[in-house]
Amino acid sequence: MIGAAMRTKLSRRLVGFVLVAVLSAASVMIGRRNRKPFSPDAPDFRKLGPASAPVLIVEFSDFQCPACRVAEPPRRQLLSLYDGKVRFVFKNFPLRMHQWARAGAFAAECAGRQGEFWPYHDALYDRQDQWTNDKADSFLEGYARELKLDLPAWRACLADPSVASAIEADQKDGNDAWVSATPTFFVDGKRFVGARQLAELAPLFIDKELKK
Amino acid sequence: MKPRELAVLAARLAVGAVLVYAGAAKASAPAEEFANVIVSYGLVGPDLALPLAAFLPLLELAVGWALVLGVNARAASAAAAAMFALFVFALGHAVFVGIPLPNCGCFGDAAHLTPGHAMLFDTTLAVLCAFIWRFGADAFSLDAWADGGV
Repeated sequence: MIGAAMRTKLSRRLVGFVLVAVLSAASVMIGRRNRKPFSPDAPDFRKLGPASAPVLIVEFSDFQCPACRVAEPPRRQLLSLYDGKVRFVFKNFPLRMHQWARAGAFAAECAGRQGEFWPYHDALYDRQDQWTNDKADSFLEGYARELKLDLPAWRACLADPSVASAIEADQKDGNDAWVSATPTFFVDGKRFVGARQLAELAPLFIDKELKK
Repeated sequence: MKPRELAVLAARLAVGAVLVYAGAAKASAPAEEFANVIVSYGLVGPDLALPLAAFLPLLELAVGWALVLGVNARAASAAAAAMFALFVFALGHAVFVGIPLPNCGCFGDAAHLTPGHAMLFDTTLAVLCAFIWRFGADAFSLDAWADGGV
């Protein structure tokens, strides 16, 4: 009699533990059901390194994000360390909380259409504290002038719907890849978030990929 | 049902629901994002942060569901209190050494709390855990059912 009561108690306890495990697993699976594959593609002017490089790095970044600026030195170091061995693709992911990030993305995209994406990109990060304010438009135009861009064409480009479409396509790719923090890097599909993961963990992974 | 049992039930559901929400928000997102938040607290490096980022949300989920269902409610409340103490310590450390944390990262990308609000919130939840631990299972818990009470 005591044995049967104990068995009932134990089996009811077991039911409780199984329920906890099943509900925990279901919570994770329900949350992950929306993750989709993303396109690593971008216009050629936002790519660096040989197309045949064995390793592909895709960055989702926001020009106003301080963490993205912090990740710039390790990113540049990484590209110089693995020069010729990696293909780097920049994708825009301006966060809603950054008021001037979208303007920065438009300005860089239009500089890119005149072949000056990377110098403009570097200027936006190197001088992030200067232009991320109410005078953003005037600073952004000033950088375009410094790079000797065709200003009327650059200004017309800012209003070109295809620029907005390109940035929105990048954002959709970022959302599909479940990017919610910038900068997020994908090295051959493996995710690295922030400067420290890029600087400390990505080289080990790249070395492993290069040995394949 | 006695008022005290009702209070234990409410506390159990409240703490459990918070843990399930926080755990699900982080566990369903890539671990690297939470690892990046853990690193920003300045207590561990990226090497240790990644396994922690994979494990902690699952622990939150399991403890959260155990509280919601009332499975080993006392042990679950003790585990939850230990987690809240750990979170308060990490937040306190960040504030003490002057690490700017715009968002505590407690709920992944689902909700943003400042470190001050998060410390207050975690402390309140830890007090509720102590209350659950003190009075144990209520009549609506699976513990009570397992013990033959329902």
